Amino acid sequence: MTRNEFWGHTRRLVSYAVLCAVTFLVCFPLVWAVSTSLKPKSEIFSTPPTLVPHTVTLENYKALITGRPQYFQSGDQQVTSGTTPAQFFMRWFVNSMIVTLGSTLISIVISTLAAYSLTRFRYWGRTVVPYFSLLGYMVPSIIFVFPLFLVMVQLDLTDSLLSLVLGYVCITLPFCMWLMWAFMRSIPIEIEEAALIDGASRLQVFWQVVLPTALPGIIAAAIFSMIVSWNDYLFGRVFLNSLDNLTLTVGVMLFFEGTHVDWGLLMAASVLMTVPMAILFMALQRHLVAGFGAGAVKG
Amino acid sequence: MDVKLERINKNFGAVQVLKDIDLVFPSRKFVTLLGPSGCGKTTLLRMIAGLEPVTAGAIRFGDRVINELAPRDRNIAMVFQSYALYPQMTVRRNLGYGLRVRKTPQAEMDAAVERVAGILEISHLLDRKPGQLSGGQRQRVALGRAMVRQPDIFLMDEPLSNLDAKLRVTMRAELRRFHLDLGATTIYVTHDQLEAMTMSDMIAVMHGGIVQQFGSPGDVYSRPANLFVAGFIGSPPMNFVTGAVAASNGQAAFKSPDFTLELANGSAGGAQAREVVLGVRPQDLTLVQNPETAPVRGRVWVVELLGSEKLVEVMLGDRRRLTVQVRAETPVSVDDEVGVGFDPQRIHLFDAKSGIALRS
Repeated sequence: MTRNEFWGHTRRLVSYAVLCAVTFLVCFPLVWAVSTSLKPKSEIFSTPPTLVPHTVTLENYKALITGRPQYFQSGDQQVTSGTTPAQFFMRWFVNSMIVTLGSTLISIVISTLAAYSLTRFRYWGRTVVPYFSLLGYMVPSIIFVFPLFLVMVQLDLTDSLLSLVLGYVCITLPFCMWLMWAFMRSIPIEIEEAALIDGASRLQVFWQVVLPTALPGIIAAAIFSMIVSWNDYLFGRVFLNSLDNLTLTVGVMLFFEGTHVDWGLLMAASVLMTVPMAILFMALQRHLVAGFGAGAVKG
Repeated sequence: MDVKLERINKNFGAVQVLKDIDLVFPSRKFVTLLGPSGCGKTTLLRMIAGLEPVTAGAIRFGDRVINELAPRDRNIAMVFQSYALYPQMTVRRNLGYGLRVRKTPQAEMDAAVERVAGILEISHLLDRKPGQLSGGQRQRVALGRAMVRQPDIFLMDEPLSNLDAKLRVTMRAELRRFHLDLGATTIYVTHDQLEAMTMSDMIAVMHGGIVQQFGSPGDVYSRPANLFVAGFIGSPPMNFVTGAVAASNGQAAFKSPDFTLELANGSAGGAQAREVVLGVRPQDLTLVQNPETAPVRGRVWVVELLGSEKLVEVMLGDRRRLTVQVRAETPVSVDDEVGVGFDPQRIHLFDAKSGIALRS
């Protein structure tokens, strides 16, 4: 083995080691959550802890999905818990879906149209709006929470999913608009002109030429908006209060309340919470890859 | 269908980019708008396409004023410099898009797309997307998209400028051939005089928002209307020498600090005692063997070999140089004393102030 080969191998070895360490750091909490969610209660606190459960049970998932009351040991008696967070889990899941999809839809429609107008029409302020909009996104959202809450009180919308949808639009729209603006700018105006000459109307140009070309940008903005809305805790905590209306992030926190924390249930809830976002990523990531506009103009 | 431009003006804000353009593009002819960048040629083309509003004047297709007509109602097709293909559509859909939005029956559309793809030899590319094509192939698709609808008027905005030199030469001939086959009026924009000369029936030379000369390629080359056209057309560019026309022994002559040249009868066009610019193409000058008898003498400053020809730069006075184009085998080297011979029939005189050609 020559000196060069030796260093080549060593460098590869070191980089793989570092990558493995990072992967482990990132994945371990998730693996642990999955593992815990599959364990029966008796095994969760067993010493030594087990990474792979000895007994695999889907009880926790069943409880969350069917929403039936939980029984737990009190002294030597089994008692029902009465109303438990687990009973509301599916309801919260649906709530989260509604606000996430609703706010994303509104954000995307507005930001796409706004970006198209900002890049294609001439009017006062069209060059500064995108920058101010980005600036707006840089302000921590906690600053907006209470003013927005007061607005919701005025509108009589507190404790409704609509209030949350509007709140999420407020925090995701500026960035979505900036993103779409940057994207629209990269779409050459000539392809629209070509379509106009080919015989398309303005509306046809927008639907058949601009939107399909802008799709990767729309997907990127939608993913951003969905992640923000799905993972938000702050707005949900402030805007909502009745159990029926909570979103997942706020609701899952209720698993901690009281004297008893059912870790298995909590971990199962966490795993279920990450599933939609994981699916979203896997389904859409290939659209995010660059090279989307290649070939429109000389490449 | 012929296209008439009547006193066309175009302003961008306070800047006037086109001034009183009057042009007639005859039916079925290939007309080129030729000029340096910023001369307004692309703007003019875009106005004919309907992509740019007309500030003043009228554009007529046949007898009909079409100023306010939307691009899609003009039955035109345009090839863009950047090709402007729809990136998310296959070549087939790109070609057929114009027919599809016009609700052409599917069978008819397929037939038209296949026919054009056959002519352009891109049938094997129909299911690819523009991103998977080379520059030359994209160019053909752009051309095909324009041809498929059988428009009355073809507009082309520097369609060859993104191709490499070799492909450009091939495409030049093909474009000319397509034009003859299609029989549509073609308006072609370029800054490349070679393209203009080789392909056009007529050339409109533009500069500063004004049509400087409109004529056949031969006309524009051999009878330039003014100094700009004379300098812009021809490669290597025309030699210019400033001087005055004076009569000596009843014969008009051109006098410059470096030399005096007798003019052919009438070629001065009554320019007596006026400041004039003499223009002569390098191809129309000769090197004279014995410098003593030549009207113009100088020293060879540099020699450039072009292949079959040589460009010889002859230094006359302090700074003035003349470029002479001679056969490559002509024996001449740097610092030789040479004489330059003029053909009085092949010189051009221009008014020094207005730049307009002086003709009898």
